[in-house]
Amino acid sequence: MTLSKLSFRNAKRQTGDYLIYFTTIVLAAALLYAFNGLTFSSELLTLSKFMETLPMMIVFASIVVVCIFGWLVSYATGFMLSRRSRELGTYLLIGLEKKEVAHLFFLENLMVGGFAFLLGLLLGNFLYQVLRAILLALFSCPYHFTLAFSLKAAGLTFTYFTFIYLLALFKSRWHIHKMKIYDLIYFDRQNEHVIVKNSKSRQRLFTFSIILGIVGTILLLMENALIGILGAGCIILFLYIFFLTFASGVPAFFDRQPFRKYQKQNLLIYRTLTAKLGTMGIVMATIALLFTATLISQGTGLIFWGIFNARSADKYCFDLYADSERPEGIPSEYLDYIEQNISVEQSLLYCIYQRESNEFITYLQKNADYYPYNQKDMVIRYSDYQALRSIAGYPNVTLESGEYLIHCQRYLKNTLKNHQPAIHFGETTLSSAGIHTEPFMQNNYTTGNGHGFLLVVPDDAVSALTPHHFSYAANTTAPVTEEQYEALDTIRNRVCENIDELYDSLHTEANEKATVASMTAISIFPLYFLAFALTMTAATILTIQQLAECRHYQTQYKLLQKLGMDRREMAKTLRTQFSIYYTLPAVPPLFISIPFLLHTANATEPGIMVGAFSPAMIILDTLLLFFFIYAIYILMAYTTLKRNVLPENS
Amino acid sequence: MLQVKNIEKYYGNKNQVTKALDRVSFDVAAGEFIAIMGASGSGKTTLLNCISTIDTISAGSILLDGVDISGLSDRKLAKFRRERLGFVFQDFNLLDTLTIEENIGLTLSLNHQNPKNVQKQVEKIAHTLGITEILKKFPYQVSGGQKQRAACARAMVAKQSLLLADEPTGALDSKASKNLLEIMTQMNQKMKATILMVTHDAYSASYASRVLFLKDGRLFNELLKGMRPRPTFYHEILDVLAVLGGDISDVI
Repeated sequence: MTLSKLSFRNAKRQTGDYLIYFTTIVLAAALLYAFNGLTFSSELLTLSKFMETLPMMIVFASIVVVCIFGWLVSYATGFMLSRRSRELGTYLLIGLEKKEVAHLFFLENLMVGGFAFLLGLLLGNFLYQVLRAILLALFSCPYHFTLAFSLKAAGLTFTYFTFIYLLALFKSRWHIHKMKIYDLIYFDRQNEHVIVKNSKSRQRLFTFSIILGIVGTILLLMENALIGILGAGCIILFLYIFFLTFASGVPAFFDRQPFRKYQKQNLLIYRTLTAKLGTMGIVMATIALLFTATLISQGTGLIFWGIFNARSADKYCFDLYADSERPEGIPSEYLDYIEQNISVEQSLLYCIYQRESNEFITYLQKNADYYPYNQKDMVIRYSDYQALRSIAGYPNVTLESGEYLIHCQRYLKNTLKNHQPAIHFGETTLSSAGIHTEPFMQNNYTTGNGHGFLLVVPDDAVSALTPHHFSYAANTTAPVTEEQYEALDTIRNRVCENIDELYDSLHTEANEKATVASMTAISIFPLYFLAFALTMTAATILTIQQLAECRHYQTQYKLLQKLGMDRREMAKTLRTQFSIYYTLPAVPPLFISIPFLLHTANATEPGIMVGAFSPAMIILDTLLLFFFIYAIYILMAYTTLKRNVLPENS
Repeated sequence: MLQVKNIEKYYGNKNQVTKALDRVSFDVAAGEFIAIMGASGSGKTTLLNCISTIDTISAGSILLDGVDISGLSDRKLAKFRRERLGFVFQDFNLLDTLTIEENIGLTLSLNHQNPKNVQKQVEKIAHTLGITEILKKFPYQVSGGQKQRAACARAMVAKQSLLLADEPTGALDSKASKNLLEIMTQMNQKMKATILMVTHDAYSASYASRVLFLKDGRLFNELLKGMRPRPTFYHEILDVLAVLGGDISDVI
């Protein structure tokens, strides 16, 4: 048999034995191709001028992803090398040269990689279509299926793959060259090295690691870059020390209460766990680290999405909006351009006034998550308010004389419900007639329709008030295009050139939507790309390790069957062993990432992270997505293991 | 105590049938130490597997204390195995991840015994078998002889009524073999354990009170030790084996 035939046979066997690993490599190629496809698609990149940044972000993420997959392939080939060391040793024993054995191993891995790459390209094309559809949906563009193969994307994916595989293969080649026949044949007899031998110091280190983890997480939340880096360092140290010393904590517990280990299936479960952790502490810690990064990437992605979405949703209410704090009102240059170039259906030039008092601001500051950008409470005339509601397409509201209304952002409603005092304008006293919360351009810092809230009063009540700024709102017959916005923006840059502190606000619904879509794509796509790669890599390594133990489990359960263990009890024990194995590396990441994400979500300006983007929902969505992908791997591994390990019913 | 009645065991499919056991019948009285001998492929391990309920029989019946074990459900079989049978295997079959103490205690744990009494019971049997000092060690830290004594302890700790041993001395050197056989004799005489041992080693078989010989799946001969000294019995076994033929190099 020629060497290449043997390689081919081995490659075929490898794909079967390590099906989950092979699937991940195919998915890796698919992910790389699909995301690279985005960077080369002129259709998608011309959706908005902001999309120009997308290729750079994807390439940046790709480099990290390639490193992660590189580690996976390197780990898996190293692992296979150790598993097959006896076989490779036998080749040497029967007279093959080391060079030939290395070549054999090299060739079969190259075949597996090449096959995975080709399958990945096929799958990647479909994945690309999914990403394209998402992106087009973000920009509210219609999606039509067009099968397109990007040679450039395939070329780039090939380059990444070559890099990943060459790195792993050179590493294993070096290993083969270094090993002796004896080492190869008796590789599996080598004992694992325990890093911290003294059990007392292991226990002390274990406690120390927990403290380190808590301190690290707190430092990470301090909102200071340098302290944050220190926190991240503490967390990395925590994870490694924790998993290296965890195995010592469990026996210590059972040493104190020896009878507990004989309760139910405790003995088998705890011993398998400690044996496993004793030998793969470093891998577990690395996986926990990857999981932490995954959860943070996914959660941060959602937070970004929430921020862009919420900031803009409030501005979607008017097709076109501008305001200015100049005492003379909105510069005529804007209005002239609009009149000449944009077909306006309904428009309003109006004024936002400020009260003498700041009682609402003070109340909100005390009772809600509210930052006061203005010194005084903002006020609008009822007639202007009615006209604006009509422009925004909201139903009319009625205001009787002697009454006032509050229009606020949704998150302030509950707070303001408890604060609707009678307010005074000179001789006039107004009582509250209710609260409205539709999106109303209320997060424009000092301008817009009040920051967070606005008081709507009868027209005559504002006669004694000072104007704060002037605004213009309109709805148009057709969406204001990106070019029209550009033109208005150029006018703004010209008119604001000589004014130091004032900068007019300018919003168009179309531009807001394009910005949100671009920002979402630029931030979320790379972060999720990274998150998928991280989850897949970590879950694959866990699964490779677990399935490699198949034979060991088989012997164990065969013996247990002989000793009279009930099949149902066996299944239960296997399930528990399995769940602990997969849960353990996911627990510390939860304790680190949940506080981090909650803190980050709460650190944004008030009123942004609400509803579907509330911190609780972000955590929920992040965990759901993460555990969904993780569960697929767990399920695949569990069914394989159960089928191979548990004795059949006779 | 144990009645094996006309059992048959076939392997294979319609086209090719291999008869592993052919109308085998014998009785085992409580407190007996029986050895089953035969060349490779004679069906002795199949017989042991059938008695231990790991394998099923094609015809006949096996009764333990009057209960036909071939008619029991999977759950009842499992219960039967853990409560009534003790196993000693050639390759010890101790779990690597458990200490010797835990390996012995596992049987009690599987039998749902009070966890607080497990350690005491393990220490008691370990003392009897002289393995107290290795209780905290893992299997890879002790010798083959010690491992096999630990396996004996596991097979007896839950007061199982029948000890089934499959080539228990197969992986031991002569000194450790002798030591183990003496311990098994001690278990049989002092602890009144009923032992059924499969072996192809005449020396090991000479420790039993009765030897059954299997050839091609059939019961070929039976030898009773009676009051004869062990060396005489050993030579008689060798004589039968010579008649039996087969793999003589395996025997001596």
